[in-house]
Amino acid sequence: MKLKQILIPTKVASRGMTVREVFVECGRVHIPALPFCTRSGRIAGRVTLKNILKLSCLPDYIIESARFLGEEMSCMDDVEAKAKQLLCTPVDPYMQEPALSLPSNAPVIKALAMMEQNDTSYLFVVDDGQYQGAVTIQCLARMFTRLDQC
Amino acid sequence: MHGSEATAAHILFGWDPLWVSSILFVVTYAVIVSEKVNRAIVSLLGAGLMVMLGVLNQETAVSGIDFNTLGLLTGMMVIVTITKRSGIFQYIAVWSAKKVRAHPWGILLMLSVVTAVFSALLDNVTTVLLIVPVTLLICHELDLSPYPYLFAEIFCSNIGGTATLIGDPPNIMIGSAVNLTFNDFLFNLAPVVPLILLITLGIIYAVWGRKLQATDDARERIMQFREQDAITDALLLKQSLAVLALVIGGFVMAHPLKLEPASIAMFGAALLLLLSNLHRSPEQQSEDVQKTFSKVEWVTIFFFIGLFVAVKGIEQAGVLEILADRALKLTGGDITLTAMTILWISAIASALVDNIPFVATMIPLIKSMAPTFGGAENLMPLWWSLALGACLGGNGSLVGASANLIVAGFAERSGHRIHFLKFMAGAFPLMILSIVIASGYIYLRYL
Repeated sequence: MKLKQILIPTKVASRGMTVREVFVECGRVHIPALPFCTRSGRIAGRVTLKNILKLSCLPDYIIESARFLGEEMSCMDDVEAKAKQLLCTPVDPYMQEPALSLPSNAPVIKALAMMEQNDTSYLFVVDDGQYQGAVTIQCLARMFTRLDQC
Repeated sequence: MHGSEATAAHILFGWDPLWVSSILFVVTYAVIVSEKVNRAIVSLLGAGLMVMLGVLNQETAVSGIDFNTLGLLTGMMVIVTITKRSGIFQYIAVWSAKKVRAHPWGILLMLSVVTAVFSALLDNVTTVLLIVPVTLLICHELDLSPYPYLFAEIFCSNIGGTATLIGDPPNIMIGSAVNLTFNDFLFNLAPVVPLILLITLGIIYAVWGRKLQATDDARERIMQFREQDAITDALLLKQSLAVLALVIGGFVMAHPLKLEPASIAMFGAALLLLLSNLHRSPEQQSEDVQKTFSKVEWVTIFFFIGLFVAVKGIEQAGVLEILADRALKLTGGDITLTAMTILWISAIASALVDNIPFVATMIPLIKSMAPTFGGAENLMPLWWSLALGACLGGNGSLVGASANLIVAGFAERSGHRIHFLKFMAGAFPLMILSIVIASGYIYLRYL
């Protein structure tokens, strides 16, 4: 089976887009990241939910002290407040290096192997530099359940 | 055998080994200090060039590598990596904050002492990596600036590390090069440490102590912390503490048992690896061992390897002998003046540049002074001066010790940037004060 049969078409992130728009799209299609594209449609990088939240809301000391955190702590309110403020800000500063990508005619098992090799649970599908959609480990699991014969 | 006399170093094009090794060493040192290239790459390249250009042959280069230092560092890194997974350090940090009923000054005092003790028994970097996040969390809850707390912890990590053989890399290097035991450091350096700690904390109190105030609500929030949540694995905790106690007991008994510290640390590491993997399948064991080894600071280990070879190069070429001669002429061969010069120069140098290459260079230099002072046994004041200067000097600036940079990094990422000059303005005079105390101690006890 080829990736084009299972890929999820998504919107892309671009200059000036807000964090809210990225969150909404990622939530809608259930993927943890979007490609960040130039005006010509070329992928310049990616924005991930994890990176946006970590960089903007979670200082290292909160991560390191995660086991102590409780509702009564004031730092929890601060993190929530920061997350709310974050929604209206542009997503540009959170762009990271491009994610793993494969062409749409690549076999799905190759995608699975590359995800495993690179310790990730998603990749982008790109043909001739143009973004086609994303494939996640959940897509692969869904595909396998369709092949189920037991 | 490649390293026989027949294949001894043969300097390329007949260049003078003295100049080649000196230039190589100075360039290596300068690039390390510039911090433009990773220090392990620089030191290995410097070491490689010492051999490639014929200053050293392979056998002599390898003989310069101090495997006791490397073994002790690696063994302790493995033990600390496994132990910290249990959450014991954060447990103690929170427990100590609650012990003083979350009083801001009491917390500063407790966390400072905890940092000093951990730094003496483990290493400074691990200690601050574990204590600083809890400190920042506590300061946030108390609505207090974390600066006085972080300042105190930087100082206490470097002061605490001075007390023992394993507390700071310069001590490990000196101990290994001169065959000094854990107890030697304990008897000779530990007595002055509480005094320096007390005076440092006294000054910190005078500057910030009274300003540290928190509301009852904020203090109550700290009292709600559940320190037991920090413990991730009670069995691992018991195993780690047992092995740590065994290793420290081993260091104390090393001399009568005729054991080297590196052997004890490596044995402790192997034992803890075994104990923490007893319940796992072979595949899980491989994964765990690999994960543990990946946490060893190989950059530091390879930095040491390269540095030892580079220093061997200048030693072999006779550079250090010439430098020692010049230094002795300057001090007139007077032990007091020599000890004080070493103490002050190593303190100021350590405040501004990495103290590891400095100490690596000073060790053979001091060793070559033995004939002037009537034998190696009369050099002890110089070794203690070097250890005190190199360890305490790290407090002089943010770049003085790796632990300082780690604290600064945490602070910056939590929105509380520590400015280099602001820190130095407070830290340098306080470091100088600690060196004044150390000078008095060395003079009264050894000279």
